Amino acid sequence: MKVIECTGLTKTYLRKPVLNNLTFSIEENTITGLIGRNGAGKTTLLKILAGFIQETSGKVRVFDDGPFNSLFVSANSIFVDDQMIFPPALQLQEILEVAGSFYPNWDMKLAKGLAKYFDFDPKNYHNRLSKGKTSTFNSIIGLAARCPLTILDEPTTGMDEAVRKDFYRALLKDYLAHPRTIMISSHHLNEIEDLLEDVLLIKDGKKHLHLPISELKEWAIGIKGPTEKVLELTNGEELIYENRIGAGTMYAVVKNNFATLEIEKAGLERTPVRASDLCVYLTNDSRGGIDDVFNQC
Amino acid sequence: MMSLTSANMNVVVKRQYLFKLKANIDAFSSLIGIQVIALLFSLGGMGMSGSSSSYFTLTVRSYSADVVLAFTMIWGLVTAITITTRPYRNFDFTFVTNRLTSNLSNVLFLVTASLLGGVTSILSGYLVRVAGYFFLGHTLYSSEMAVGELIIGIIAASLYILTASSIGYLFGTLAQVSKAFIIVIPALLIGFLFLDISFNPMPIQQEIYQFYFIESSFILFLIKILLTTAILFGTSSILFNRMGVRQ
Repeated sequence: MKVIECTGLTKTYLRKPVLNNLTFSIEENTITGLIGRNGAGKTTLLKILAGFIQETSGKVRVFDDGPFNSLFVSANSIFVDDQMIFPPALQLQEILEVAGSFYPNWDMKLAKGLAKYFDFDPKNYHNRLSKGKTSTFNSIIGLAARCPLTILDEPTTGMDEAVRKDFYRALLKDYLAHPRTIMISSHHLNEIEDLLEDVLLIKDGKKHLHLPISELKEWAIGIKGPTEKVLELTNGEELIYENRIGAGTMYAVVKNNFATLEIEKAGLERTPVRASDLCVYLTNDSRGGIDDVFNQC
Repeated sequence: MMSLTSANMNVVVKRQYLFKLKANIDAFSSLIGIQVIALLFSLGGMGMSGSSSSYFTLTVRSYSADVVLAFTMIWGLVTAITITTRPYRNFDFTFVTNRLTSNLSNVLFLVTASLLGGVTSILSGYLVRVAGYFFLGHTLYSSEMAVGELIIGIIAASLYILTASSIGYLFGTLAQVSKAFIIVIPALLIGFLFLDISFNPMPIQQEIYQFYFIESSFILFLIKILLTTAILFGTSSILFNRMGVRQ
């Protein structure tokens, strides 16, 4: 069963397209990583899926229903980010109780257990929490709600390394025990790549890639060696990334269309490309890097 | 697989209503504060008339809950505007909601707030008289009020507060549609006060006053107020129904 189906989804703000003709679908009980640069439209897409904002054109179906103003979608999904807001009059333990009254699958034992583990004072107030603590608390709500569609928009903002690792582990454990569809957007693909099954890479509001993480890891290769030889071998192929290292040596990333033998015969070095690096290369606007800015000055 | 739950609108509205009573507890504490201030104003008496001769001075003061009611109406207006602001709207969208249930639970909350405001402001009328008797040493000549009249008084007061909140709710929603309304609405209101007042023997303001405030039939009054508030709340609901949240 497909949980999310988008066809030609477009969202424009003041005539500027944020999402541009996006078509994809997400299967039930998968963890999909939504990857893209700042301003690529990740949050806008997730907010449309959660029913917060309305698409300009195209078709969005979540659980076979239009998410905007759908009570059904709202009851079966939760949107977690660091902007989640709770009434200042409520203590943390009261917020957990209120959340429990709304979400039918709510697991209070898990919520209280996690809150205790992450050292939350039940009598504290949400608006007094630090940035990292806020994200942690919101994530606890997102996990304990056990919604069939759980949307996590940069859930680890402000969390320290230890808490991030704990959170990913908790997410995976709870997912295995209670499978559900999870969409998680993050800038730290290297941190979550072991967690993900699929990756949806968007660039400038358009779908760039949507494939299993295992395929993404094999999708491209790095070739290193003397510049002419590299260029000769990759002749005609699109260079996803190139970096000239010192005099006469070059590192290039290309699509994985080359036999290892062929590369070795040319006396070149073949290396795998990490998924997180590949995503950075794929979403770079220009071939050059930040260094070029300084070189021109 | 995780089973999908169907959402029952009545259940969601009820939960949101209970959630709002808890979340907006500050509104009720500010009600107490405002009524205490209004009571202090009332202690001087509403109307005063006096006569005197060389042998005696007679001062008649009438005490009523009018100032308290007026203050409470302003409180209802402000509370309604408050719950249309972005953070309050977003509280709902953290949990299960759609725009309709959010509005319905808001209206239920405002009805509750108005009833509470109505009861307390009518009862404060007695408090003023008692305070005048005990602390200011006035002799009290109270016109007795039957229980039926008291209840009608409470309902009427609540309806006035509810009307004020429905106006506030529409203003608040309009302000969310466009920030320009924050300037336009007060400008229109002030302009409206001076509208046509010198030319027309029966200006529109007076007609509005007579329509809502001088109505001898309670049933007619009830229908008028309920229709007015329904139109105002309904308009707000339609406006909000297309709006994005958390953006």
